[in-house]
Amino acid sequence: MTSISEIPSLDLDLFTDDVLTDPFPIYERIRNAGPVVYLPRYRSYAMGRYADVRAGLADWESFSSARGIGLNDLANEATQGMIIATDPPEHDQLRDVLASRLSPKAIRELKADIERRADELVAPLVRQGAFDAVNDLARAFPISIVLDLIGLPQNGRDKVLGWADAAFSASGPPGPRTDAAFPLLEDQLAYLSSIEPDQLTPGSMGRAIYDAAAAGQIRQESCVPLMSAYVTAGLDTTINAISNAVWYFAHNPEQWDLVRQDPTLIPSALNEVLRIESPVQFFCRVATREVDVDGLRLAAGSRVMMLYASANRDERKWEDPTRFDVRRNPVDHLAFGYGMHGCAGQGLARLEGHSILAALARRVERFEVGAPVRRINQLIRGLDALPTTVRPVAETA
Amino acid sequence: MRIIVDEARCEGYGFCAEAAPHLLELDDEGDLKVLSEEVASGDAAQAEAAVRVCPVAALRLEP
Repeated sequence: MTSISEIPSLDLDLFTDDVLTDPFPIYERIRNAGPVVYLPRYRSYAMGRYADVRAGLADWESFSSARGIGLNDLANEATQGMIIATDPPEHDQLRDVLASRLSPKAIRELKADIERRADELVAPLVRQGAFDAVNDLARAFPISIVLDLIGLPQNGRDKVLGWADAAFSASGPPGPRTDAAFPLLEDQLAYLSSIEPDQLTPGSMGRAIYDAAAAGQIRQESCVPLMSAYVTAGLDTTINAISNAVWYFAHNPEQWDLVRQDPTLIPSALNEVLRIESPVQFFCRVATREVDVDGLRLAAGSRVMMLYASANRDERKWEDPTRFDVRRNPVDHLAFGYGMHGCAGQGLARLEGHSILAALARRVERFEVGAPVRRINQLIRGLDALPTTVRPVAETA
Repeated sequence: MRIIVDEARCEGYGFCAEAAPHLLELDDEGDLKVLSEEVASGDAAQAEAAVRVCPVAALRLEP
C-alpha cells in the first residue's frame, strides 16, 4: 500500500486577493500536480480534475457532506442540519421538500410569469441604453423572483442578499474574511428564525417547508435550515451567471450574434457561461474511509475541496477550455455540483437565465462593458459592478 | 445492457431524454418514462450519453 505522503503537497494560499481575483493559474497547478493534492495551509486536500471531482461527488458513501462543506470548524458546526451538510437518509427527506417545489415539473407553471418579468426588466434598461449589468439586471431579476417564490415578508428583504453572500464566504478557511462573514450568517439564521410561518405567503415555497414539518415529513428544527438553503443558494449563483453572461457576450460579440441568429442556442450558451465562470468555486467533502483516487491513497477523515471551477476548465475533459463557445453545450459541467447534492434549484436557475438571455437577444445587438468591479468572496466568484452600454436591435417597421 | 432509473433520485430534468430519445422520454406530465430498459447494441452510445448528462446521477447502466 502506498502512503498518503505520496499525495503531492502544495504550499498554496487560495484565498489572497490576487487568487480570488484570478484563481485559474492556481487551479491549473493543482490539476497538473495530481488527481488529489494536499494543501498544508488548510490541512485539507483538493481535487481539481474533472473526472475525479465528478466521481467524488457521485460517491457520497465515500465522500460525506455531513461534517460540513467548509474549511473552518465554526461554519461546519453552524451548518449542521442544513441540507448541504447532510447524508442520506436525512438528506433525502429534506431534498424531497425542495424538489417538490423546484423540480422542472414543479416550476413549469412559473415559466410564463418569469419570461414576462424578464421582458419587463430588460425592455426599459435597453431603452435607457446604459446600466450596471450587476445591480440593475443580474441582481434585480433573481431577487424579485426568488424572494416572492419563498414568500418572504417585505421587512428584511433588503438584507437578504448581503447575508447570502456572507453565508458562502463564512465557509472559507479560518481568518479575517471568515470572521467578518460569520456574524452575518448568524444574522441570517436569526432573521429566518424570527419569521412566523403565517408571515410567509400562502402557497409559497417557504410556507411549504412549514407545511411539511406540520405534516411530519421533516422535523420542526429543519425548517430554518431549509429556509436558509433557499435564501442562500437562490441568489448569488444566478446573479453571477447573468452578469458573467453579459461580460462574456460583450467580449465575444460573434458569439452573441450566434445566439441572436439562433435562440435555440440559449440553453447551450448558459451552460457555457456556467462552465467557464462557475459561480461556486468549491465545496468540501470528508472521506469516510480510505479511498483510491486515481492510484493515490486518501486517508479516512481527509477533508477534500472539490474544485468545481477547476474541473470545468480541465483540459483533460474540455477541448480548448478557456475558449467561450456557445455551441459547445457542455451539459455535463459541474457548476451545479453533481449527483445527490446537485443543485436542487438548477431548473429555476436555468429558467431565469434562459428568460433573461432570450429577452436580451430580442433587443440587444451589441454589449459594451467597462472595467468590472470584482466581488471578493471566499466561495463564490462574481462581479460587484459591470458598467454596460447596449446598442439596441434596429426597430423593424 | 440495461438502463435503470433511480426513481427516488430522478427529478425530471429531461437531459437524458434529449441524449437518448430511443430509450427515454418526458411525458406530458413531466415524468420520465423508460421506453426501452433493454439497450440495443446500436443505442449503447446514446445510453452512455444519457447517464453522463443526468445532473443528479439518477441513471445507471447494468450489463
